[in-house]
Amino acid sequence: MPKILLVEDNEMNRDMLSRRLERKGHRVVVAQDGRQGYLLARSERPDLILMDLSLPVMDGWEVTRLLKANGNTRHIPIIVLTAHALVSDREKAFEAGCDDYDTKPVEFGRLSEKIENLLVVRKLS
Amino acid sequence: MNLQNLSIKRKLMLIIMLTSSVALILSSVSFLIYDLMSFRRQLSQDLMTQAEIIGFNSGAAMAFKDEAAATATLSALKAKEDVVAAALYSPKGKIFAHYFQANKSLPSSLPLRSQESTYRFEGGYLQVFQQVTMNGERVGTLYLLSDMRQWNIRAKRYTGIIVIVVLICGSLALLLSSKLQKLISKPILHLEDTMRTVSSNKNYEIRATRFYGDEIGRLIDGFNTMLSEIQLRDTALQRANNELQTSTHELEVEIVHRKRTQEELLTAKQAAEQASRAKSAFLANMSHELRTPLNAIIGYSEMLEEEMQDSGKISNVLDLQKIQAAGKHLLALINDVLDLSKIEAGKMQLNIEAFEIASMIEEMVTTLKPAIAKNANEFQLRMPEHIGTMRADVTKVRQILLNLLSNACKFTDRGTISLDVDRLRSAGQDWIRFRVGDTGIGISAEQQENLFQEFAQADISIARKYGGTGLGLAISHRFVQLMKGRITVESAPGQGAVFTVHLPVQATTEQVESARYVEKVSSEAAPEATPDADTILVIDDDLAVRDLMSRSLTKMGFRVVAAASGEEGLLLAKQLHPLVITLDVIMPDWDGWTVLNKLKADSDLAEIPVIMVTIVDNEAMGRDLGASSYLIKPVDRERLVTLIEKHRASRFSTAAKTSALPANWSSKGQKNSRKPEAVGPRRH
Repeated sequence: MPKILLVEDNEMNRDMLSRRLERKGHRVVVAQDGRQGYLLARSERPDLILMDLSLPVMDGWEVTRLLKANGNTRHIPIIVLTAHALVSDREKAFEAGCDDYDTKPVEFGRLSEKIENLLVVRKLS
Repeated sequence: MNLQNLSIKRKLMLIIMLTSSVALILSSVSFLIYDLMSFRRQLSQDLMTQAEIIGFNSGAAMAFKDEAAATATLSALKAKEDVVAAALYSPKGKIFAHYFQANKSLPSSLPLRSQESTYRFEGGYLQVFQQVTMNGERVGTLYLLSDMRQWNIRAKRYTGIIVIVVLICGSLALLLSSKLQKLISKPILHLEDTMRTVSSNKNYEIRATRFYGDEIGRLIDGFNTMLSEIQLRDTALQRANNELQTSTHELEVEIVHRKRTQEELLTAKQAAEQASRAKSAFLANMSHELRTPLNAIIGYSEMLEEEMQDSGKISNVLDLQKIQAAGKHLLALINDVLDLSKIEAGKMQLNIEAFEIASMIEEMVTTLKPAIAKNANEFQLRMPEHIGTMRADVTKVRQILLNLLSNACKFTDRGTISLDVDRLRSAGQDWIRFRVGDTGIGISAEQQENLFQEFAQADISIARKYGGTGLGLAISHRFVQLMKGRITVESAPGQGAVFTVHLPVQATTEQVESARYVEKVSSEAAPEATPDADTILVIDDDLAVRDLMSRSLTKMGFRVVAAASGEEGLLLAKQLHPLVITLDVIMPDWDGWTVLNKLKADSDLAEIPVIMVTIVDNEAMGRDLGASSYLIKPVDRERLVTLIEKHRASRFSTAAKTSALPANWSSKGQKNSRKPEAVGPRRH
């Protein structure tokens, strides 16, 4: 059962996304801020991370950069989620090292596809 | 003291005195000399007569050698005061008898020898020798010596008289001259005094008094006339000076006023920019804040729907779908508003890239399929097999077409939706044309007017019936404009509608800012006007100058386009090909010389006459760089207009020559007959 770390500060989004992911058959670990997300990523070793960008304590870009800089966590695919639809945000996210990108409000079908793709790629590699 | 530097008064007196004295003295002396000479002759004749008488009387005594009688005869001379000595000589020349006047000192002794009858003056004395004869026989010689007492007395007296006369006459002359010289010296001195007062007080109202009608009088008249003239000019000068001061003051006030206005404008501009930035930031934040709860609404309703379908409780699924639809509509609305705000803030960036038109269309049609099927419409795609590629922002092209096609689907029921794609060439440019047609409800002419405006859905009731944000067409319109294309609509109520989009095959990546500016300029232009016939391009960084020139030249019937910087000016020159360019020198970034240089270096623009309008006085520089004319600010409006007319006339005459028009073809006729050249897509 793939384990997904969801880093999201908005309670409703967190609750909704985690429940829908669980319904899809994923195990979900949640974090409420960037720092907690970073620590859980290191301790839980999830198969995939869904990362909001605007987070308290430490923002999503920073967490992504840190995780991608660390040999133990570098291999974990990260999908960045953001409410900012600006091109610059997307570029910034890819610069930080994320593997995919999606805008909020989440279109769950599309996001599911992205998750499955990355998990398949990971399983293969 | 130099004689020449004496005052006129003294000179006049001196002249009168000298003249009268010399005349008086000369006449008196000549009279005196004449009188004394004739008196002396008279004296000598008297003495000779005396000598003859005595000689006659003493003849007998001499003949008889009677010494006593001779002495007695001589003694008779006592009565003659002036005869101081006398003597009688014997024929042999020896003194025979003599006489001396008593108490008289004699100058010399008697001459020892007698002489012939004669008289002579010697040492202030008169000597006379007289032959004494007796019966015709010479018996001796008489000698008389006179001390000329009478003559001396007369001479002294006369000299005294003359001196007195001269003194009296001199005094009289002095008195008279001192009175009479005023006739001449007074007006001259007065004139001199007046002149000194005028020149020291600078008071040109003073006039010299005219005393007499002589030359000096005329001189004074002349001087007064001159003063009047000077006074007139002085008054005129003073008035001009006052006027100048007044206008200088007004100018200063005006300058201060303008500076203040400029500062206010700058502040207002900064405030507006600040407000615009704040608005954009606010919108971006708002859209984020709005999306977060929407996220939950859409997400939870989707989740609930899934759960219900999984558990077979389908009773509420339709309601949940309505919640989802409303949420998605709200989301679309937020996205559109965000897009519009980005366009308005000039932040919308074009991502120009080459793409396959066919694959873009196919992908889009796939996305559209549910919408087409919804109202049981038929879809027709007509596109050449090898339509090829184009360079544009593919996301925006897709968004435009999706918008038009989903509108078509929305407003058409059981009809036909069509998309025609083809290439065409017009106005010297390659275009891709997309035509979206439908057989739906159509749009009335009035509705078409506001079709591309924000929130201008044709009818409020439509929004309720068909949904939609009312922003789709406005955004599509803006996107088309950004890519330098155009969008038009043909429709009538009940007849369906055809939206046509022209996009350049090669979209340029010019800054959105300048694209906005160009659009603004073009929209100001009358669409039917010849682009360059009457256009004056004014390049000046000073808003006041631009405004002034615009107003005065517009009044003269020209179309004026103004640019605030050299860069902008150059861009506009390329687009408009104006009749004449006026160019300031002192500008930030590119100065006028740089702009002039660039204009003349561009073969397309080199022919356009450039009139320098500046405060910099360097006509030579302007000529060297190729300026046609050079005007110094403040600009003489008439001169500017004359210059522009001249350039227009010469431009048309050149045009007439090159197009081999008949000689009688007037420039005016030609101007009116010129067809507007297609310079690009018309904007709406």
